[in-house]
Amino acid sequence: MSTHTYKKFESGDSGDLPDKMTIYQDCMTQFNESPVNAKRCRILISRLLRLLANGEVFPETEATALFFSISKLFQHPNDSLRQAVYLSIKELSGISEDVLMATSSIMKDVQNGSDLVKSNAIRSLSVVLDESTAFSAERMLKSAVVSKNPTISSASLVTSYHLLPISENTVKRFSNETQEAVVDLKPFPQQDIIGDYYPNSTFITQYHALGLLYQLKKNDKMSLLKLVRQFADSNNLKNQLAKVQLIKIVNELVQRDPQLFPQFQGLLYHWLSNKYESVQIEVTKVITSFAATNQRLVSPELFAVAVQTLQSLLTVPRVTTKFAALRILNRLSMVSPDKILICNPELESLINDSNRNVSTYAITILLKTGTEKNISSLISTITKFIHEVSDDFKIIIIDAVRTLSLNFPQEWKAILNFLIDVLKNGEGGFKFKNNIVEALIDIVSFVPQSKELALENLCDFIEDCEFNEILVRILHLLGKEGPFTSNPSLYVRHIYNRLVLENSIIRSAAVVSLSKFALSKKDTSLRKSIVSLLKRIANDPDDEVRDRAVIALQFIENSNERISEEFIQSKYTYDFQSLESVLSVYMNNNSDSFETPFDVSNVRKITEDEAKALELKRKQDQLHNSRLEAIETCTADGSINNERADAATYAGPSSAEDQSELLASKYADELLSIEEFKPFGKLINSSNVVSLTEPEAEFVVNGVKHILKEHVIFQFNITNTLNDVALDNVAVTCTPEDPDNAILEELFSIPIDRLLPSTEGAVYVAFKKSEEIVMEGFLNNLTFTTKELNPETNEPFEGDEGFEDEYEIDSIFLNAGDYIKNSFVGDFTTVFDELPNEEVAVYNIQENITVQEVIDKIIVNTSCLPLENTQFAQSESNSHILKLFGKSALTGVKIALIVRIVKSSKGVALKAQGKSENATLCADLINSII
Amino acid sequence: MGNLFSSMFDRLWGVNKELRILILGLDGAGKTTILYRLQIGEVVTTKPTIGFNVETLSYKNLKLNVWDLGGQTSIRPYWRCYYADTSAVIFVVDSTDKDRMATASKELHLMLQEEELQDAALLVFANKQDQVGALSASEVSKELNLVELKDRSWSIVASSAIKGEGITEGLDWLIDVIKEEQL
Ligand SMILES: Nc1nc2c(ncn2[C@@H]2O[C@H](COP(=O)(O)OP(=O)(O)OP(=O)(O)O)[C@@H](O)[C@H]2O)c(=O)[nH]1
Ligand SMILES: [Mg+2]
Repeated sequence: MSTHTYKKFESGDSGDLPDKMTIYQDCMTQFNESPVNAKRCRILISRLLRLLANGEVFPETEATALFFSISKLFQHPNDSLRQAVYLSIKELSGISEDVLMATSSIMKDVQNGSDLVKSNAIRSLSVVLDESTAFSAERMLKSAVVSKNPTISSASLVTSYHLLPISENTVKRFSNETQEAVVDLKPFPQQDIIGDYYPNSTFITQYHALGLLYQLKKNDKMSLLKLVRQFADSNNLKNQLAKVQLIKIVNELVQRDPQLFPQFQGLLYHWLSNKYESVQIEVTKVITSFAATNQRLVSPELFAVAVQTLQSLLTVPRVTTKFAALRILNRLSMVSPDKILICNPELESLINDSNRNVSTYAITILLKTGTEKNISSLISTITKFIHEVSDDFKIIIIDAVRTLSLNFPQEWKAILNFLIDVLKNGEGGFKFKNNIVEALIDIVSFVPQSKELALENLCDFIEDCEFNEILVRILHLLGKEGPFTSNPSLYVRHIYNRLVLENSIIRSAAVVSLSKFALSKKDTSLRKSIVSLLKRIANDPDDEVRDRAVIALQFIENSNERISEEFIQSKYTYDFQSLESVLSVYMNNNSDSFETPFDVSNVRKITEDEAKALELKRKQDQLHNSRLEAIETCTADGSINNERADAATYAGPSSAEDQSELLASKYADELLSIEEFKPFGKLINSSNVVSLTEPEAEFVVNGVKHILKEHVIFQFNITNTLNDVALDNVAVTCTPEDPDNAILEELFSIPIDRLLPSTEGAVYVAFKKSEEIVMEGFLNNLTFTTKELNPETNEPFEGDEGFEDEYEIDSIFLNAGDYIKNSFVGDFTTVFDELPNEEVAVYNIQENITVQEVIDKIIVNTSCLPLENTQFAQSESNSHILKLFGKSALTGVKIALIVRIVKSSKGVALKAQGKSENATLCADLINSII
Repeated sequence: MGNLFSSMFDRLWGVNKELRILILGLDGAGKTTILYRLQIGEVVTTKPTIGFNVETLSYKNLKLNVWDLGGQTSIRPYWRCYYADTSAVIFVVDSTDKDRMATASKELHLMLQEEELQDAALLVFANKQDQVGALSASEVSKELNLVELKDRSWSIVASSAIKGEGITEGLDWLIDVIKEEQL
């Protein structure tokens, strides 16, 4: 046998993970050997732990076998082996149910083991104890808590903490001992001193004790208050984590009862200058997050000092501290960017920080706090920077820039040049390039001035682009926008190159794109050459390419210009949700093996402007949501929520928005499927859902207003929240608010026959109206017969007459806004100036209402789309200008609004200025914006 | 020279090897009490064993690795996890617990069927002899059907762990058998 051996995995540096099966086999043989070789077993366990820590898992049978062979190591008295055994028991407890077999052995070490293994034994107790055995450990845990040895005391406190969900009563019985452990400063025992080295206690026991104590008292506000007072004033807490914990308790208290904040203000102020960075971070977090929702209660000085503290933390050497400070600043940048402007110099110098997490965060914050003034200089900074970072960071930066382009459309040139530069010169994978292209597509669609420059550069890019998906998207964009530019033939050349050089997927896309140029009004000579190009392509070896070319030729050469335009440059798409539901109805109702062709005219069409409006709205909502999220994550007890606020900004449409869209199309579908409404014709517009009762009422009612050409239908959605009562003949009576001047004529209503508990149903009330815009308010009353339900059958008792009842719900108003669809324009100011009819109205609201609330209300009431990022109030400012755009759902007439909002001590004053192609529409809308 | 001789001698007698001995039996039979009687020679206060206790002791120049497993119904299924490489089983019976003699017998025979225990010697302690009304060793033997056991060295010894009677006698017999058969 050789005395020199070398094992690959024994060298500490090797980053490779040991092989799972080898380790398993080694464990099985080594651990079952007699006598046990303690040292070898310990090394083996450490390898096993490394595997587990890296996320490797063993199947249950193997995990069980491992556990039992490890349990046999209890026969060996070696302390370090014991420690390793305890660690592995804790790890394996997740996989194997059998860890309870270690109970007696653990208990024995807790009582009689050396100080060294005692704490490990105590810590592993938490994985073996259950409800029935927990109480038997009470005495052991209690005496360990009061141990003078800090590691033993800590172990017991931590174990007790983990025991809480299993047996809170056991732990409660030593809450006095726990309280004492907070203030008891425990140094390491003298006999542990080895040589000259004397470890300084960090007094971490304080943190563990405080953490446990908080869990025991968290539901009792008074004792928490007492606790804070007791530990904050005296200088008892030496441990920094304990201090952080105490701050978290303060946060918890003020979040629950904001009025408490002023009394803690002095304390927080004091903590801001604490010597520990972690304490400073935690305090600034509490102050800034609290201020996000309770600005009035935080003194401006305190807030300013908090920001200054963050500012100074940006210059400390410790990376984690810098990073934590940046995270807080990032949240602030979304809520109140103006307040952290003083940090800009520090942030700018962090752009070159060697830690990329830090530098990227710094950049994204700068981009968010950016103002018109510094955008271009910021962009030139990141232009230098972006080529040096990894793809992940590049993507974050690109996304931030993309938001910028929405917020500062007038800065499009700098942004566009930046994007083009990184697109052409930047190294990066698909995701990165795709994000750039998406950002460019955004700019092209929302900032019309940028179109030609962007398209030309994209043309250059596709001459040398390796990604099919991106190429296809760009080809589509070129086909859509190219024919309307000043020089369409420029694009034709690039597109044709694709047809010659690329694979069939790209060729297919290029055919479609190319065909659109045939109808270009800007350059009518193109038609002939495109037809001849397409004829050549009609011989392509690929089926799809050929088919597309043939179809395109058919349409182009068709004499009916309307048809060619409709199919080649169609100005609308179908609403996919509506298409899906109509299609599935068609498939399900198939009674004549699809003899009747599918009728697409029932599907809602979306014009390009509407689609853009929808998309912009979605983007705005995303931004808005991420702001709210930023506030929420701030307030959520200051805990570490795994959020990355900047990532949330681009998470795609949140499910909540999808839901509201789905809901709208569901209501529309339901309505259209009702026989009585068929004669009314097409649904022109549906309002948002308005609630007509308190959400916690017995009957929850909300309303939707549907506009048709000569009719209005009110839909009342009613939820029966009672447990054991059914509602029969549920109807809504609508009485005009001003009966003498009633305009709408009620035709009929459709009641609900029976509404069972916890179900929702809809009552419809239909009115006849003239073709114009009609506005009117109605008082509403819910009428129904209640019947008690037989719990056995869930049916009313036989012969139960029930008794009639009514329930008043809120009024419903048909407003001018209900006749408006939101719509998008690229250059609001020009359009506004050009519209002919002007109307002005002035409002004074004598309520205590924030500027943002006013803005939100106006957007809902007018159904218009806010443009140029004016949907957000600036946090500090008391005035605001809101720009809105929409179209009449009846006639398509454009309307643009500028609303100036000023808040003073007396209330809020509004001046609304509207311009429209139709004077009446303009006046109507202006007079009902709030 | 003397060193060499003694180490050869040791190997001959297998001193370096540790002998694994299991103490099994129903809950409350006195297993844990017997273990510590053997190790420290005293009566300790015990709690029902959840899992096992393991102690190493030297006995007549031999190193014994003695495993005392819990006897509660919920723990008995785990006994088999500790059978491998076992030299001997000490089965402890509470001689006053007449109601559960059948259970004890069933568990004993079930265990002895295991492949891994084919070569293990068996020592039965008819424990708690100090109590009035305890069955005698031969009565326990009958209850447990020990005569049925073939191909195995076994013995039953009347014992009282509390008084310390019978324990060493039993162990002496066991060690002799192991030395004869296995070393
Ligand atoms: N009178 C008497 N009592 C005994 C004797 N041996 C054990 N006991 C008692 O019996 C009880 C149970 O003893 P343990 O040694 O804990 O029993 P065990 O077999 O280990 O039980 P489990 O761990 O549950 O399987 C204790 O109260 C002992 O004091 C004995 O020889 N005579
Ligand atoms: Mg026991």
